[in-house]
Amino acid sequence: MDPPLSLKLASMSLISQRKLENILALCGDKKDLIIDPILIKPLERICGVGWLRQHGIDKIYKMDPQLGTTANINRVYFIPASIQKYKCVLDQISSLISQNASLSDLECFHIIIVPKFICSYDSILESRGLYGIVKLHSFSWELMVLDEQLMSLELPFLYKQLFVEQNHSLLSSIAMSIWSLFHVIGKPKILFSVGKLSASVLDILQVYNETYARDFINNDSSQEIGALILIDRNQDYPSSLLTPATYSGLLSELFNINCGHLDLNVKETIQKKGKMDFGFKEEDVASKTKNTVMTLDSSIDSLYGEIKHRHFSEVLSVLSSKAKLLKNEDIKALGIQEMKHYVTTKLQHVALFKQNLVNHVLACETIISDMSKKFENLKCTETEMLNNRNKKSNFTFVDENFGTDIHIYNSLRLMCLLSLTQGLSYDEYNSLVSKYLIAFGYKYLYVFHNLVNAGLLVQPSSPKLSLSISNLSDRLPKWQSGFQVTANKLKQLPPQPDKVSKSSPSYVFNGGYVPLTAVICNTVLTSESLAEIFTKLSALPDLRVGGDILEKFSNGMETLNQKLSDLKLQSDLEYGCKDAKGLAKLLKSEPNIGNIFPLKPKSVFVYMIGGVNYAEIAACDLVQISTGSKIYIASDCVASGRDLLVANT
Amino acid sequence: MDDDDYWNTSETKAQALSFDDDVLSAQEIIAIGQTPSIGKDEDSIFSTSNVKTALLPLSSLVSPKVLDLILIAQSGKEPYKESKSEPEETVAVTLKRLVLGRNCTLHVHRSIKSKKELLDGAIAIGDGNAILSVVLFLIQTLNKKLVYELLSSRPLALNHYISFLQNEGKITELTDLLTMLGRSSEAAIYQYQHHVKTQGNNVDGLIKKLANLLANHFSQPAVDAQQSKLVADYVKLLEWQKYVNKQELNNTSPLHCLAYCCTNHWHETAGNMMSPMTVCQRQQISPLQYDWVVLNVHAKLNKWDIVETLFTKKDWLGRTTVSSHIPIETLLGRLSELQASMRLMATCVNKVASADDRLRLAQMYKIHSVVIETFAKQKDRIALTSYKMTLSPQSEEYILAENTLRDMSIKWKN
Repeated sequence: MDPPLSLKLASMSLISQRKLENILALCGDKKDLIIDPILIKPLERICGVGWLRQHGIDKIYKMDPQLGTTANINRVYFIPASIQKYKCVLDQISSLISQNASLSDLECFHIIIVPKFICSYDSILESRGLYGIVKLHSFSWELMVLDEQLMSLELPFLYKQLFVEQNHSLLSSIAMSIWSLFHVIGKPKILFSVGKLSASVLDILQVYNETYARDFINNDSSQEIGALILIDRNQDYPSSLLTPATYSGLLSELFNINCGHLDLNVKETIQKKGKMDFGFKEEDVASKTKNTVMTLDSSIDSLYGEIKHRHFSEVLSVLSSKAKLLKNEDIKALGIQEMKHYVTTKLQHVALFKQNLVNHVLACETIISDMSKKFENLKCTETEMLNNRNKKSNFTFVDENFGTDIHIYNSLRLMCLLSLTQGLSYDEYNSLVSKYLIAFGYKYLYVFHNLVNAGLLVQPSSPKLSLSISNLSDRLPKWQSGFQVTANKLKQLPPQPDKVSKSSPSYVFNGGYVPLTAVICNTVLTSESLAEIFTKLSALPDLRVGGDILEKFSNGMETLNQKLSDLKLQSDLEYGCKDAKGLAKLLKSEPNIGNIFPLKPKSVFVYMIGGVNYAEIAACDLVQISTGSKIYIASDCVASGRDLLVANT
Repeated sequence: MDDDDYWNTSETKAQALSFDDDVLSAQEIIAIGQTPSIGKDEDSIFSTSNVKTALLPLSSLVSPKVLDLILIAQSGKEPYKESKSEPEETVAVTLKRLVLGRNCTLHVHRSIKSKKELLDGAIAIGDGNAILSVVLFLIQTLNKKLVYELLSSRPLALNHYISFLQNEGKITELTDLLTMLGRSSEAAIYQYQHHVKTQGNNVDGLIKKLANLLANHFSQPAVDAQQSKLVADYVKLLEWQKYVNKQELNNTSPLHCLAYCCTNHWHETAGNMMSPMTVCQRQQISPLQYDWVVLNVHAKLNKWDIVETLFTKKDWLGRTTVSSHIPIETLLGRLSELQASMRLMATCVNKVASADDRLRLAQMYKIHSVVIETFAKQKDRIALTSYKMTLSPQSEEYILAENTLRDMSIKWKN
């Protein structure tokens, strides 16, 4: 019998391990590993210290610019693909060589870069005279299973590069992770992409497929996954900007979560940390005492599995009922033999369960004390924004927040949400910018430029300039903004948020909004034909289709060579995927071309480029229950709205 | 609790963060769970033992042949069979090699036609690494004017080059590029970001760089006037910080400086450089933000007398009322967090005009005197009686409620 998909996915860490083994074999016999702290947790999911020892690692150090001599001459640096960190390592190597010139002939410097090094790394190496002395290695680890049906590449710096700097140098790593994944689970019959980056990933994937075609042994389509859906983060910013109402969503609002491990810092939550301190430095107790670490994985903590997706209002009552069960388990009433049995089999389990219970309650209490007073007003205002109602009072709410209890990231989140849903006038925009800079410092002026670049904020043009170009209709208040038109067509806005049923995925935002991911999954899982999907999702500007299904269309697949030969400037390559609007015409005669729909197997793999959040994960979970299907979610990392804003500063 | 109706009642929504009585309190649950020893020793960099479940052997996951392929793909090397005998270097072949991360020389592409094809091909595929490789190659082999022309009609390629220059700290080249493309306002902001990030908290350096930037770049007509004003305000603040010469204030925000002055120089007369009013006027801090800082600073210093003199005044009937730019609900919330006296809280909530709102807020913050008074005004004996039951017997507020209920002058409506 074929092993279950979840086990296959978890076992992909062995492929990562093998990839690392290959690299370490090239780095000399006995060596020191110098690791950037952010890579420690992900690496722990690939191998342990024992394994590293077996593969020649003698000592392990944290990367530090001031790091002096280490135990061995051979050094293996292990860093993420960040040019600053890379340069820092090169500085260190240069200074070692300046102290001891003979090192340059020993081939003793290696830098492993996650997920890959890009072309400019080579030229930097050359320009510093280190070419040939330092060897660079790309380590593209595979998707890691963080929780049931949740996978991540754990590259939290990707969003900033891809969306804020609009530098797509590492995009191919996503394509490569999918390419590897398909080797393990087979190719789904159909691939969808929503957004420009997703389309590019399908094109790059096609280059891999074409290059290694003859070696792709398993050419049958996947038995376990019916469709792959790739979505760019910027296709649904509101899902990141809104305040989640689920337990896991709220956890990510208050606590740092790194690679599925939550740092239960109840004293100084993210919410508190981002506010002005008025020069009163709180005593730094929190950093001295070690916080409890909670692993957000249902297979380890079944209690978490039970409550993670629940609306927060239900969580304490679930925890309370669990506590009552524990209380009723009266050990004193047990006989000696029973007691023995209990101690050997159940005690450890119960102790662990109790500890988890306590941790979740502490987390809940922190959520209540930090958010309860503001939560209601905040949720109401957010829902009003989504539905384009009471713009004036929404602005007043935001403006007042900026003027009083301003938060370095969450206040910007509100500003962005208002801007994307209802728009900001020139004066409103400037009022907020000015308050923000007065509170946190003028040095942050560039942040607003970044937000505009990332598409999180729309900068209104000054009235002086716009008077001459725009016509009057632009300046009149609108019943619906562009956002509402699209969101209504996709049925993302429940008409009566306070009356939505439990079966609407919008519960993750208190009934106000259905995440785009959930809408798309639901459509793909329930439609009877490809044409139906295209109709239902016609409001999406950048929907494309890829995979073997393209062969069914008249002109079939062409090689990259053919494609490039008749490419026109800025036209579509239509190589790894094709535009849905173009294909829709071809579907008139055969609406269910390829007979893929209704989807079989009834399961989809969603891959979010630029970070997925817990509210989206919960919404998809609800869709899979209501459609009787399986939804696997992957991304380059799990990121809350605040994480996106941090990337812009 | 699990009924569908649960979701349909709006009361549930209103209490999204509260819970019903049947549920154990957090403390009770913790007591049952008895805080066990939590937190492991984590002296080593790596936490030990992480392998939890047995995994499938690699061989049953992918065939050895496929595994080799995966390893080769990561390394960017060529599969052994096709090495060296590569066909001629067409644009497509080069692009493919770039995308696969293999070694390749772009220098065979010498005509402008094939350079353009390379660039457009890389853009069409969308692999940023390929795009950047081609752009850097163009910079090496074409004159700047030609490259800029090519980039100006290809925004994606341009963005990659901008990001490259920014990361490399090549700010002069970036400025030249953007100015040449007529995007001087962006040039200004990129330089701003660069200076802010490289100068740290060096006030002198920042003043010099920013004054220069203001004169040469933010004064351009394309730059939004509001932005130049903010930069000018920044310089003004830095000049104040230079004059004050306090290490801990260097390059901090206007409100941070204001808080400092409120803490240390509250009684300084207006016009003096350290007076809070001076900072407020110099940086045009809004009355709302000013009130907020003053409130927080003095409350944290426990100087409630100052807070009261500032935020309350006597009206012509001699009653004390609150006067602040902070909206009353926000003020109440903050006062409660700062643990203000009940008297001040009562004064504050009495300012709320609508009786319903006043009652809601007074109940929320447990300002009993106001709740009792409001019920009395509404002549609502039933409500007052049941409210009395929630108070602890013989407490001050309990007696007040009892006395009010006994008050013969009130004509109860029920």
